[in-house]
Parts: sequence; C-alpha cells; structure tokens
Amino acid sequence: MNVKGTYFEDIEVDKIRETPAITVTETHVSLYLGLTREPAAAPADVPAFLVLCMSIGLGWRVKEPPLAVLAFVGLDWHIVREVRVGDTVHGRSRILSKRPRRDGGFVVDERSLIDQHGEVVQQGKFTFLVAKRKEVPA
Amino acid sequence: MSEQRRYFQEIPLGEEYESPGRTVTESDLVIFSGLSGDYNVLHTDAEFMKQSIFGERIAHGLLCLAIQSGLFNRAATEYATLGLAGLRWKFKAPVKIGDTIRLRAKVAAKKDLDKPDRGLVTIERTIVNQRDEVVQQGETDLIVEKRR
Repeated sequence: MNVKGTYFEDIEVDKIRETPAITVTETHVSLYLGLTREPAAAPADVPAFLVLCMSIGLGWRVKEPPLAVLAFVGLDWHIVREVRVGDTVHGRSRILSKRPRRDGGFVVDERSLIDQHGEVVQQGKFTFLVAKRKEVPA
Repeated sequence: MSEQRRYFQEIPLGEEYESPGRTVTESDLVIFSGLSGDYNVLHTDAEFMKQSIFGERIAHGLLCLAIQSGLFNRAATEYATLGLAGLRWKFKAPVKIGDTIRLRAKVAAKKDLDKPDRGLVTIERTIVNQRDEVVQQGETDLIVEKRR
C-alpha cells in the first residue's frame, strides 16, 4: 500500500511554492483556545501557534501532492508581527536543502507566512524526514 | 488582568516548572485536523497506520506543541507576556492516542531588548509522556513586559 506524495527523489531544491490563503476567524481562535487552553492576551489577538498550525494545512491545498513525510524532525521559527482576527495569510515555501539517508532523507523547507498586505508575519525553517519513492510513508 | 502577572524583573533565572498531565485523545487529533487542515494519513487513517512502524495513528507534532503552550500557562504563574518571538524545536518521539503528556520547563536565559519596556525570556521546554520518555524538546523566546 502506498500513498500519493512528493517523494525525496522528486523534491526540487530552490523551487518556490505559494499556497492559497486562509482568513483567521474568531471561530479558529475559539476552537484553538478550547483545544489548548492557551489564553489570549486580548480578544482580537490570535495566538502565534494557531497561525503556525493553520499554515500547515495550506500546503495541502496546492496542486502538487504533499511531501511524503515520515517524520517532522524540527522547527526553527520566528514571529515577526502579530496576526489579528480577520487577517488573511498564505504561505510561501522553498526547499533549502535535501540530504539522503539510507531510509528517506532530510529536507529543510524555508517557509514564510504572509498577510493580506504582503507583510511577512512569521517565518523559519521546517526539517522533515521524507520517504524515498519505494518506501511506505510512516 | 490579574495582579499575579509577573513582569520581566520578577521572573528568576533558573526557575523550574512542571505541568499537570494531559491525555491526548482521538478527539484532539480530529479537532486539530479540522482546525489546521492537516489530514496527513499519519493522523487520520487508522487502517493505513496499522501497517506503519507506529502501528496506529500518531498525534500531529504541532498539536502537542500547542498543548504544551497551554500546559505552561497552567504550570507557571502568569507572565506579563507581550508575545512570542520565536522557538527552536525538536520532535523526538511519537505521541499516540491515549498517551499522557506533561511539560517540564525552566527559565534558561533573560536579556534586555532595544525597547526599554520589555525583555526576552528564553524557556527551555521538555514534553515527556507517561513513561517519562522525552517526546518533544526545545526553547521558546517570550517577550515579557518590564515593571517600570
């Protein structure tokens, strides 16, 4: 059994991908606060981690099949500016490097989250272990 | 805001915290998939995951990162936090449905920022499961208001 995905061999270093956008709503904030019990400083504030979490799903709305991720290895992330309820963010991502291992390979993905004014709100690097074509993800 | 919020000067370097436990449930995974839009088979396809090295669905890494943020607030007296500046984070081991996670945290560094009304507090964080195995680990940088 295998899943359609972008495998380690298929990943193009330096290729830039843009995702569709999503508007951050009060509903997102309420669901997130219920799930995490993380208090918001003010009602219109959007917790930074919520924006990060929502950005992950944006990658699933592009035409290319998602990365065949075996494991999410780590993340180095910067919050540049605050996001408010009603803001609309999208992602831009670029593969910085890929390093093969016997099983799969490490991929560093540089990502920026951009608001409706074109301003970067959060950015950083994700490291994934991605499957090679013959391997079953996970 | 409660009077118990602590300002930058009132947070001692080296102070340690341990949170209550929190059991990660199937509902958490389902809600998080809907909220994040991340429907990766790792988190959503029980049959597929039976054949994987994990043997069952695993929690989203970012779900546990978000949960620990709430656990921190239950463990430490509230800071006068203005925002999060960034984090460096490693996902070390999977969290499965039914696992109970806890946060251990420590004030690792404090430094002044350019703006005189705020400082940066770096918190070392380790998420452990019910067997005391480290599942996630990293550091977060919080911007905290100074008492004038």
